[in-house]
Amino acid sequence: MGTLTPFLLTPFTEIWGSPVFFAEVVLTGLLTGVMYSLVALGFVLIFKASRVFNYAQGIMVLFAALTLVGLMEHGVPVWLAIGLTIVVMVGLAVAVERLMLRHLVNQPDIILFMATIGLAFFLEGFGEMVWGSNVKELNIGIPDNPVEFGGILLSSFDIIAALTGAVMVFGLALFFQKTAIGRALRAVADDHQAALSVGIPLKTIWITVWSVAGVVALVTGIMWGAKSGVQFSLSLIALKALPVLILGGFTSVPGAIIGGLIIGVGEKIAEIYWGPALGGAIENWFAYMLAMVFLLFRPQGLFGERIIERV
Amino acid sequence: MTAAATAQASAAVALADEIPAPRATGNVLLAVDDISLSFGGVQALSHVSFDIREGEIRAIIGPNGAGKSSMLNVINGFYHPNSGTITYKGTARREMRPDQAARSGIARTFQNIALFRGMTTLDNIMTGRNTMMRRNFLWQALYWGPARREEIEHRAKVEEIIDFLEIQAIRKTPVGRLPYGLQKRVELGRALAAEPDLLLLDEPMAGMNTEEKEDMCRFILDVNAQLGTTIALIEHDMSVVMDISDRVVVLDYGVKIADGPPDEVRTDPQVIEAYLGVTHRED
Repeated sequence: MGTLTPFLLTPFTEIWGSPVFFAEVVLTGLLTGVMYSLVALGFVLIFKASRVFNYAQGIMVLFAALTLVGLMEHGVPVWLAIGLTIVVMVGLAVAVERLMLRHLVNQPDIILFMATIGLAFFLEGFGEMVWGSNVKELNIGIPDNPVEFGGILLSSFDIIAALTGAVMVFGLALFFQKTAIGRALRAVADDHQAALSVGIPLKTIWITVWSVAGVVALVTGIMWGAKSGVQFSLSLIALKALPVLILGGFTSVPGAIIGGLIIGVGEKIAEIYWGPALGGAIENWFAYMLAMVFLLFRPQGLFGERIIERV
Repeated sequence: MTAAATAQASAAVALADEIPAPRATGNVLLAVDDISLSFGGVQALSHVSFDIREGEIRAIIGPNGAGKSSMLNVINGFYHPNSGTITYKGTARREMRPDQAARSGIARTFQNIALFRGMTTLDNIMTGRNTMMRRNFLWQALYWGPARREEIEHRAKVEEIIDFLEIQAIRKTPVGRLPYGLQKRVELGRALAAEPDLLLLDEPMAGMNTEEKEDMCRFILDVNAQLGTTIALIEHDMSVVMDISDRVVVLDYGVKIADGPPDEVRTDPQVIEAYLGVTHRED
């Protein structure tokens, strides 16, 4: 019994003993979770529209952040630099469609997946060639002060980042549910051929989603980059999106949002309350373990399309 | 010719006297000329030519693997022929992209239903209006102002189609859940939403029971009569084809073997041979 106490008893007495601190942990988790949702959304958009798992999504985050920092180092003002980076990401989307997707139409999914791996290596090399590979500081002037709400301490930067993320996530969700373009995109996601037959140009849709994914990558890059510096490890943040996707389902926008929040809160709670019993640093693997347990029970994710094969 | 076949032929002639003359008198809307298409070593179509006239119901028939669906795919731009030209509304070209075809007024349905399964009936039919959405990207993205007004206009048109096809009750149902016959009807609705000049139907009645077939026949005839839409259809059910079409083109192994009004085609020895695999020629 004694060995189980740190797992089964201590965490709950701690939570009970200090509810304000617990609320702080949950809120911090939620704020991080919004950022995970944002990364995951980048994957979901491309996966929905082209059935491609975009391995390069993480590198796109790094590439966008590198471009932004690089421009700012050359004395370009922040807002102009952000605008120019968006132009670069849209340009990247056009190039991906022209040089990659267009030639791989109707190829098996694995071929497209391999192509995105190639794209990832290219972007990594290209980004470092143009902007250099040393760690860069990104400061776009968002204040990082402790803010107190009824005894709960939060970072003002986290709050602003989460708000930005939330606005983007919900804006995109509305965009895809309510507008004609969103409907066209969902149509392409459902059936390429039928979409073509009603006159939806696949190429425009692909460019649109890759551009949106590029902008999402930029926002993610700004937020994480400002926290931990712009360096190669930024691209690994995308790996955190994998458990989020498994949890939420690869094809679901709401799934990406909820999945991100669950992972964000879950890993914070696990780290703070169960971490000591396990020797700490469980934040790094907790999300993956959660996702694997989840796979056992709901392989299609929380909101993913259920795959039923009739035999 | 056997006695039975002769009797059938004379009956057909007698029937032909009662039926009003085919309405295939409009201008040529679409003409395919000398179209050949091959996939690797398989010759799907060889030197096929025929035309479709404004306002008619034109059937394309033939045994399995005759190249019927390939022909439809060439017309709407999914396949690009190796040679030959397609003249549509007076403009001749070798090939076009599917979205260009859609925008120039060609809508279609598929042999294996190709609906957007996760979307509702209403949304599916709304996608059919895609080619008519004129507002620019930014307005649509904002879903505001003119784009919103436009959306409402399109929605009204879609409701008309839903009434026409008598599918009001399934307006909000995701189409993946609908029975086969209704899915076919929704697919027709999506094609009609584009207000096409030329409607291509790939086996609109395949896999349906008699009642569903009768409904679909009625819809096809109504579309043709009320909306004046020119229709080209592929169908296996011979009685249906002979009943509703004005002119029939028969393909066999990618070659055109007959072309004309149903009664003429029905008695054509080559057609009978292609379908039954027996020789009826007499020397």
